[in-house]
Amino acid sequence: MGFTSRYYGHPFRVLFSIGKSVAFAHLIWNYGVAWGSGSGASMMPTFPVLGKSVIIDRRCRRGRNVQVGDCVVYNIPIEPGEEGIKRVLGMPGDYVLMNSPDCKNRNHMIQVPEGHCYIMGDNLPWSRDSRDFGPLPLALIKGKVVATSYLNGWNPLKWWSKFDNGLKPVDTTSE
Amino acid sequence: MANHSLWARLRPFRRPLLFNKVALRIQSHPRIHSVNSRWTRYKSFRQHRFLGDFTWYSWIFLTWVPVVVFFNANVMELAFINGPSMYPFMNAEKDQTTAPDVTVAWKWNAQHNLARGMIVLFWNPRKPEITVVKRVVGLEGDIITTRPPYPALVIRVPPGHIWVEGDGGERDSIDSNVYGPIATALVIGTIPFVLKPLHRAGWVRWWEHPVNGRVRHRS
Repeated sequence: MGFTSRYYGHPFRVLFSIGKSVAFAHLIWNYGVAWGSGSGASMMPTFPVLGKSVIIDRRCRRGRNVQVGDCVVYNIPIEPGEEGIKRVLGMPGDYVLMNSPDCKNRNHMIQVPEGHCYIMGDNLPWSRDSRDFGPLPLALIKGKVVATSYLNGWNPLKWWSKFDNGLKPVDTTSE
Repeated sequence: MANHSLWARLRPFRRPLLFNKVALRIQSHPRIHSVNSRWTRYKSFRQHRFLGDFTWYSWIFLTWVPVVVFFNANVMELAFINGPSMYPFMNAEKDQTTAPDVTVAWKWNAQHNLARGMIVLFWNPRKPEITVVKRVVGLEGDIITTRPPYPALVIRVPPGHIWVEGDGGERDSIDSNVYGPIATALVIGTIPFVLKPLHRAGWVRWWEHPVNGRVRHRS
């Protein structure tokens, strides 16, 4: 048949096709959608230490369309080459409390500088985040978590769940 | 040729039951010429004077686009230098022409083996969609004497960060003295070669750049 004879006996055609396929996969992985498995206790109620993996929307790289409350994948600025997942607390211009509620300087407040965001893990005592390295440049954001996958059971359709922004309006009625 | 009209060539091909046996029977039929498979019908479509060639070369062009994107993002790209921040090393003729210098940005393993004096390309920490070119002055752990806009006189560069400055000085360059040390993860390339203007074209001999006297202590 024609399709096999196009590649059989043509090593350069085979090599070029493999290279083009790898480049296409790279394009999808870096500019479309990516899958990643995280580990660690810093996002504890949202993500368990092990087992839950995330689907990352790469269109939100460099802080595009990122809002307060989103979980983002970012390059850890104090550890080049490492990536982490944290929740965005403040976008440029927002005023955020710098420290944890149980901290001595809990009332210290800063304005997030231009082009930066303030990120924190959900597990405050076990998270290394903007409280340590300060506001994160938006250019270090690699994508936004849009779905999670958890491999329990044998039905692949039940492995996936949509991941929403957990931000809720403050309840001002009850006091 | 069995398919005489364009509509017949575009018709989706449904392989009937017992295709091979039927095809063998039809091949020996006196009036029906042939039954083509999808690939053979595609080959005959390719022999169309205009449409065949056009679709084929468009497809070949499209398959090379991801390769070019990968190359530009991870191996090498041209960087056009705007503004006076690297004067006089780059845009030395900034008062005679508006043409930007054209340089080569090498992106493969750019964040590794950074050294003082190298010229790096990185994401502007204040404007996340804009890239900047500056010179590396200090690596992590170095103690730097800063220039005026910076609030502190002396700073130690934190882990995973570098201190970058433009050759243009504090008047022309918005650099680490304005926004502080930058994360190494922001670096996307080094500038090893200048292409234009031609009389300054050549390798960037960054190791010959005079050692900045404001690095008080090297880690």
